[in-house]
Amino acid sequence: MAVWLVAAYLLWPTDVPDDLKLPSVDETQIFDPDLLDETQDFERFLRWNDIASSLVLLAVLALFAWRGWRFARESAAGRIGTGMLLGMIGLALVWIAQLPFAIAGIWWQKRYDLVTAGYLEWALENWLVLGAQFLFICLWLLITMALAAPLRDRWWLGAVPVFAGLALLLAFLTPYLVPDQHDADPALAADAKRIARETGQEGVDFKVQEIGDLTEAPNAFAAGIGPSRRVVLWDTMLEPPFDRDEVRVVIAHEYGHHESEHIWKGLAWYALISLPLLWLVARVARRWGGLYQPRAVPVALFVLVAASLVVQPFNNVITRRMEMEADWVALETTEDPAAARELFEEFADTALQDPDPPEWAHVWFDTHPSIVDRIAEANAWERLRDADQSR
Amino acid sequence: MISPHPVRIVVDDDLKRSRLTVFFRLFLAIPHYIWLALWSLLMFFVTIVNWFATLIVGRLPKGLHNLTAAYIRYITQLFAYLSLAANPYPMFTGTDRYPVDVEIDDPASQRRLITLFRLPLAIPALTFAAVFLASYAGGSYSSGQGEDSYSAGATTSSVGILWTVALFAWFACLALGRMPMGFRNLQAFGLRYGAQAWAYILLLTDRYPNLDPADPPSTGPLHPVGLAVTDDLRRSRLTVFFRLLLTLPHFVWLILWGLAAFLAGVAGWLAAIVLGRLPRPLHRFLAAYLRYSTHVFSFLFLTANPFPGFTGTPGRYPVDPELPEPEKQNRLKTLFRIFLAIPALAVSSSLYTLSFIAAFFGWFVALALGRMPRSFREAQAYALRYGVQTNAYFWLLTGRYPYSGPSLGQPEPEPEPELTPAELPA
Repeated sequence: MAVWLVAAYLLWPTDVPDDLKLPSVDETQIFDPDLLDETQDFERFLRWNDIASSLVLLAVLALFAWRGWRFARESAAGRIGTGMLLGMIGLALVWIAQLPFAIAGIWWQKRYDLVTAGYLEWALENWLVLGAQFLFICLWLLITMALAAPLRDRWWLGAVPVFAGLALLLAFLTPYLVPDQHDADPALAADAKRIARETGQEGVDFKVQEIGDLTEAPNAFAAGIGPSRRVVLWDTMLEPPFDRDEVRVVIAHEYGHHESEHIWKGLAWYALISLPLLWLVARVARRWGGLYQPRAVPVALFVLVAASLVVQPFNNVITRRMEMEADWVALETTEDPAAARELFEEFADTALQDPDPPEWAHVWFDTHPSIVDRIAEANAWERLRDADQSR
Repeated sequence: MISPHPVRIVVDDDLKRSRLTVFFRLFLAIPHYIWLALWSLLMFFVTIVNWFATLIVGRLPKGLHNLTAAYIRYITQLFAYLSLAANPYPMFTGTDRYPVDVEIDDPASQRRLITLFRLPLAIPALTFAAVFLASYAGGSYSSGQGEDSYSAGATTSSVGILWTVALFAWFACLALGRMPMGFRNLQAFGLRYGAQAWAYILLLTDRYPNLDPADPPSTGPLHPVGLAVTDDLRRSRLTVFFRLLLTLPHFVWLILWGLAAFLAGVAGWLAAIVLGRLPRPLHRFLAAYLRYSTHVFSFLFLTANPFPGFTGTPGRYPVDPELPEPEKQNRLKTLFRIFLAIPALAVSSSLYTLSFIAAFFGWFVALALGRMPRSFREAQAYALRYGVQTNAYFWLLTGRYPYSGPSLGQPEPEPEPELTPAELPA
C-alpha cells in the first residue's frame, strides 16, 4: 500500500505551476448563445445515452454473472478454453444489449454532421471491434487463468506485470497500427520539426492521418515509446476554420505529451490502477472457486467492468492533468495564447464540445479539461508572461 | 418414417471406360450441347406453364410431368456422360436405362403455397446444385489503368465438384480404362442432388432436394481414417450468431500451430523417406493438429455445437477424426506425396465449398430453429471426413489414398462365415 502511494505521489506532479489560479471565464462572453445551446443539446443526449448504456451494461453483466456459467455446457474445451468461451459470450451479450445505444449515438452524431461514415460502414467497423474485443478477452483470460494454476488466488500479483508488459508492447506498436498515415506537406513538416526541436523531441516522427472520409471531428494524438514515438495529426485539422497558428498549438500540445513522458506515465498509472482492480476481481472470484475455475469468469467479468466504471472518474482526473500539462507545454513552446484560445473556441464549433459542462458530467465523462478551463489556462499563462515581462 | 424422395438416382455402372471416347468426350458431346440448348429453351416456357398449372390444379398434369421428367433425365444422363460418371453415349430423348439414371415417381399433389414461392424457396437448392454442377459462375477482372493496364486473366469462376472430379477422372480413365469408384460415387451424389434440385425448380415435385450423401445409404471400402460423429444437431442460437467471432482465438492458435505443423511435416517427410514410416512423436503431433483443425472447422461450419478445446485431444468433440497408429509406408509414394495428393486436395477443396455453403444456409436455419438440418450436417461430415483423409494422407499419417465416395467410411458388409454342423446350436 505504501509503495503504491509513493508511486502515485511520484507520478502526480506536472509542469503546470502548483499555485496556478485559473481566472474566471464567462462562456457567454465568448460564445454565441445559439452555439452554446447547440453544444449543450448535443452533449446532453450523448451523456444520457452513455449513462443508459452503462446501466444496461452493468445489468447484463450482473445477469450474466448470475446465470452465465450455464453456457459452459456449450464448451468441449478445457478449463481455459471454457473460460474464454464464457468471456466472449459475456461480451457478445453486452454488444447486443448496447447496440441500440451505439446506433442512437451514431445517429445523433450524423444528425450534427460529425460522423460522415454510413451505417453499414459503421456496423462493419463495430463488428470488427467486437472481434478485437473477443481476442482481447481471450488473451486476458488465458493469462489470468494460466497464472491461477500455480498462484491460485494470488494470480493478480503475476498478472499485473504481464499486463503492464503487454500494454508496453501495445504502446510501442500503436504508431505502426494506425492506418492511412502519410508525411505532412513541407510547410507543415517544417513547423512540426521546429516544435519538435523546441520541445527537445527531435527524434519523434510527425505524420498526418487521412480520416476525413469517416468523420469531421478535429483531433491529433501522440503515440509510441522510444524509437516508435510519433505525433499524428488528423487531416480534419488541416481544413478551415483551423489556421496555421492553431495547428501549431495542436502539434505543440502533442509533442508536449512526449516531452512530459505521458505515455510512460500512463503505463505506470495503468499498472498502479490494475493492482487493486485485479485484487478485487480475485477476491470476489474466490467465492466461485477462484479464477482457476471457468465458473468464476462471468463474475470476474462483472467485477472488472463495474470496478473500471467506478475508477473512471479517477482515471479522468489523471488524464485531465496530463492534458493540462500538454497545453502548458504548447503555450510555452508557441508563446501564442491567442491562437490557443481561438483553437479551443473552434473546438466548440467544429466538435460541438460543451465549453462548460455540468460538474458531474465533467467528473464522470471528460478525459480532457473543459474548453472554458483550457481558455482560462491560456489566459493564466499570458498573465504570468506579462507579469514576468513587466518585472 | 420419411418416404423416399420422388426423384432418385439409379447407378448400374461397371466402372469400365472406353479410353477413346474418354479422350474425345467433350467433342463427342457437341450434338448434345445443341440439343440441350434447344430443349432448355423450350423448358423455360414449359416451366412457366408448369407453375400456373400446378397453382391451379394442385398437381402437374401428366403430359407436362412426363416432358419435364424426360428433360431432367436427359440432362442428368448428359452430365453423367460428360463428367465420366457413365460410359455409353446417352440418348437424346431422356429415356431410362442409362447406367447413371434418374427414377422419377408419377405426379403427386403439391402444396400451392410452396408452388407460389417456388423460386425464392429454391435459392439454397440452386446454390447447392451450382456447387456440384456449375462449370462457370462470374466473370474475369483486370487490373491497372491506361497503357500500364494488364489483364490478370484471373476469373471469379467456380468449378463445380462434378467437374473437378471429372478433370482428375479423365486422367485416371485414360490410364486405367476404369473410373475410380469413389469418384463415380461422388459424382452420382452430385447428379442426384442436381436432378432433385431441377425437379424442384421445374415443379415436378414440391419435395425439397436432400443434401444427405447417405440417402440412399451406400457402402465403401474400409479406410483407416474415419470421422466419428456423435452430434445431436442441437445448436445454441447465441453461439451460432457469433460463431465467426468466437472462432477468432482458434484461428490465431491454428495459424501458430500450423507453422509448427509445417516444420514438423517437412521433418516427418524426410524421416519417412529414410525410415519408411513417420516417427511416433511427429505422428502424434501432426495427428493432434489435424484433429484440432477438424474440431475448429466443425465448430465454424456449425457441423458441431460446442466450443472446441485447443489441444486436439481425441474423443472430446462430437465430430472427431479417427486416425491410425503409425504404419509402414511406401518410400517412393512418400517421396512424391505432395504431387500424389493434388487430386485429393482439389476435390477436398471443392467439398469444403459445399460445407461452407451448408454452413451459410445452416446459420439461418440454426438461428431460427436452434437445430442444424440433418442433411446439411451429414453433407458437412462427409466433406470433413474426406478432408481428414486427404490431410492424413498429405501429412503422412496414413499411406492410404482418400476415398471420395459418400460412404462415411462404412465397410462393405462381410458375409457371415458358414457354420459347420458341429457349431450349429442344439
